[in-house]
Amino acid sequence: MADESLLSDDLLRQLVATGHVDILIGVPTLNNASTVVDLVRAAQSGLGKYFPRARALIFNADTGSDDGTPTLVRDATTDDTGTVSASKPLRTAHRISTPYHGMPGKGSAMRMIFAVADLLSADAVVALDPNVTSVTPEWIPALAGPVRDGHADLVAPRYPRAPSDAPLVTQLVRPLVRAAYGWTLYEPLMGEFGCSRAFATHCLEEPVWGTGVTADGVDLWMAAEALAHGFKPAQAALGPRLLDTPRKRPALPDVFQQVMDAVCACLELHDSYWLPRGQSEAVPCFGTLNGAVDVGPRPDVAGMAATFARDVKALHPVLERILSEPTLTGVTAAAATPSQLAYDDDLWAATVFEFLLAYHRAVMTREHVTQTLLPLYLGRTAAFLLEHASSGPATVDAALESLCLAFERAKPSAAALWKKA
Amino acid sequence: MSADDPLWYKDAVIYQLHVKTFFDSDGDGVGDFRGLTSRLDYLESLGVNTIWLLPTFPSPFRDDGYDIADYYSIHPMYGTLEDFKAFLAAAHERKLRVVTELVLNHTSDRHPWFQEARSSRDNPRRDWYVWSDTDDKYRGVRIIFLDTETSNWAWDPVSKQYYWHRFFSHQPDLNYDNPAVREEMWQVMKFWAELGVDGFRVDAVPYLVEREGTTCEGMPETHEVIKFLRAQLDRHFPGRMLLAEANQVPELVRPYFGDGDEFHMAFHFPLMTRMFMAIRLEDRGPLTDIIRRTPALPDNCQWAVFLRNHDELTLEMVTPEEREFMYDEYARDPVARLNLGIRRRLAPLLEGDRRRVELMNGLLMSLPGSPIVYYGDEIGMGDNVYLGDRNGVRTPMQWSGGWNGGFSSADPERLAFAVISNPVYGYQAVNVLAQERSSHTLLNWMRRLIRVRRSTKVFSRGSLTLLDAPNQRVIAYVRAFEKEQVLVVNNLSGTVQAVELDLSSLAGAIPVEMFGQSLFPRIGTQPYLLTLGPHAFYWFRLRRL
Repeated sequence: MADESLLSDDLLRQLVATGHVDILIGVPTLNNASTVVDLVRAAQSGLGKYFPRARALIFNADTGSDDGTPTLVRDATTDDTGTVSASKPLRTAHRISTPYHGMPGKGSAMRMIFAVADLLSADAVVALDPNVTSVTPEWIPALAGPVRDGHADLVAPRYPRAPSDAPLVTQLVRPLVRAAYGWTLYEPLMGEFGCSRAFATHCLEEPVWGTGVTADGVDLWMAAEALAHGFKPAQAALGPRLLDTPRKRPALPDVFQQVMDAVCACLELHDSYWLPRGQSEAVPCFGTLNGAVDVGPRPDVAGMAATFARDVKALHPVLERILSEPTLTGVTAAAATPSQLAYDDDLWAATVFEFLLAYHRAVMTREHVTQTLLPLYLGRTAAFLLEHASSGPATVDAALESLCLAFERAKPSAAALWKKA
Repeated sequence: MSADDPLWYKDAVIYQLHVKTFFDSDGDGVGDFRGLTSRLDYLESLGVNTIWLLPTFPSPFRDDGYDIADYYSIHPMYGTLEDFKAFLAAAHERKLRVVTELVLNHTSDRHPWFQEARSSRDNPRRDWYVWSDTDDKYRGVRIIFLDTETSNWAWDPVSKQYYWHRFFSHQPDLNYDNPAVREEMWQVMKFWAELGVDGFRVDAVPYLVEREGTTCEGMPETHEVIKFLRAQLDRHFPGRMLLAEANQVPELVRPYFGDGDEFHMAFHFPLMTRMFMAIRLEDRGPLTDIIRRTPALPDNCQWAVFLRNHDELTLEMVTPEEREFMYDEYARDPVARLNLGIRRRLAPLLEGDRRRVELMNGLLMSLPGSPIVYYGDEIGMGDNVYLGDRNGVRTPMQWSGGWNGGFSSADPERLAFAVISNPVYGYQAVNVLAQERSSHTLLNWMRRLIRVRRSTKVFSRGSLTLLDAPNQRVIAYVRAFEKEQVLVVNNLSGTVQAVELDLSSLAGAIPVEMFGQSLFPRIGTQPYLLTLGPHAFYWFRLRRL
């Protein structure tokens, strides 16, 4: 049941006027004036084109924009003439933009979106990231369709990724979540997703809101929560995920810290599920993934390798407290030859799991643990990019699959140690 | 309704019926004027004040009487001209006006005019119809009866030329470029007006005149024909009414009113379609859209509004997506589809849901225009889509649970159309006699509805102001005429709804619900909260005391 304190009287009045909806599209915003109009238009167009008969609401939960984002969303509100044109939905396309006055962050906004979905008995919920500039109308049926058709409770995205794109996902989160939770989910950090009302209601009832789990890691938590509680997962092939100007992105150490905190928090929250879980199962993917578009900034591979070499040496006493001897030896050896950098899959998998155990055991402050992993992550990523500098997409995909399998191989011993901790 | 009010049609509540299937007085299996006359008390008790008759002229009945073979007579199976006069007198005695059909556009190919015209190219009547050596003329003009016709031209093997027909090929179009045809049709109108007919429902109006390179619909010359007939009617029979059938969007129908010098009334086809769409979508958008698009009319004109009639529920004026939706929702069985429409009656369309039937009638009676009730819909009669063409919605009136539903004493095999006899809508379950026995039946509810509608002129003559209710499942409007105001609130949804209406412009008024005379709290400046049950509607007379 939704926490009624989330909903102002004015919002409730608007929800009463909206009534039950078939599809709710949630857009959590914070200063997205430059992108939100196109996003709303894409969503509206997707509804009109693919769900012309559906009762739909585009719901914007804004966590304190001062650039006019809510007004821009509201100005896009359609009127009764929305039924005239063939390209528009048959039913009124509802639009609500409301401020959220609680703890800022995407987690709070998602909580509000789920509360609205619960109150309006939405059959399907789609969440869109307003920082993304490449959302097309086709993303709406891709994310909502499998839910409406009863094929899934959670539809995670799949994007065509260039080799250097989102290494935090491809090198760390994807293989780790796959090995731990036993599902081949390609994008556990779901920027966009679709879900059922049952899942939204389930999330609302979990005692995680307002805690660190959802404050910075709500995307991963939702994916992990679905897997851990038996909700049917699926994936939808979307187009490339292009972000708004990178100036908005936080620095890598901050992002890395947030992601690692979220990963570790989820693993601790769900250890009764993932510890006994065996080999991974495939998560069905709807749609066809098109070719990757490499538009991101070129990574400074040499700089990453240099940082790796320097920090491994500097952090050796700390690494001794975290890593086993064979792993430390491997890492040290890799760091010793940055010009011919190699950091193989099994070594990387062992590194990650041993760091997780250190985090779990709290052998030092958790922040210290995760920040110590960062240079190793840079080393592994640099090694991968060097190895595949001239590889084709199929080779890169095979290499990433191989990495996931290495994580799966490493999991049982890590799980055994986790239980003892 | 004042007997001498020239604007009587504005206050009309019209009952449309087919003499053939209303009541058979002589047991030959076909309804007739004597039978209809014997049932006028029923119509009077229903509360309607105008009767519209489907064609009763001599006809080969290849289009259920719209293929006329003689404009100056009554088909013998319906009785005699004397029977008709007696019916007319009896109706007028009960203050019931009578509107008859006037099929201007075409005749039957059996009509003597056409038989003469085709007999030789030199015949004086030859130019009464539209002929061509080729079927190339007027290329691109749409075919209306898509399910049966492939061309608007038909070959006449007798005179070896093509003749023009916008409807069935056995219905050749008259040539209104010929002044003799106009004059003759005026003589037809005059004949019936002299007998006392109060108005004419003019069939297929847009198609009277053809011009190359056009859609051949609504030509300026067509309007000249109408103006001529209207002027003649006004001059010789003031107070008689012309009602246009122009199956088009309201913007395109508007010209048929002219400056108040063409038709007095015209059907509002898209309003009907959009009522069905809105109630199934549970969204007022389709309705508010068409209401806003409906142009204002000259003061002496009025829309004719309806839910169902003797034809299919037209889907010509909707988008392909909307048509698909309507087919999916109302005609999943393809046999219910005909041309670009759905051949079903009101009750089956609404799955026999009494609440929806009531809401639809509530909308019909409260929106601008003179409402038309199609015979049998006041008791929730069903249909028989297997009868072919549109005959399935023209089955005998179900008067009782007895022999042939009380319609005729003939053997059932002899009836013009079989009586509906299935367990849901059959005459044993749905009939007038049974519904007379309880005050809660649809029939008696309809009587109350019509009585309330006619208790004020606000519905028949008043303005309409849409209210911007925040809840899209609710459509609310204010009807106002002179000093009277009525607030109408309709829940299009099948679930309970709450709505807060901004009625600050009506602050101080006390709403009095018109069916139960219940008082509601005085309207203030704050939003006025109403809750409505599934498909419920309220009519509030606003009193300032």
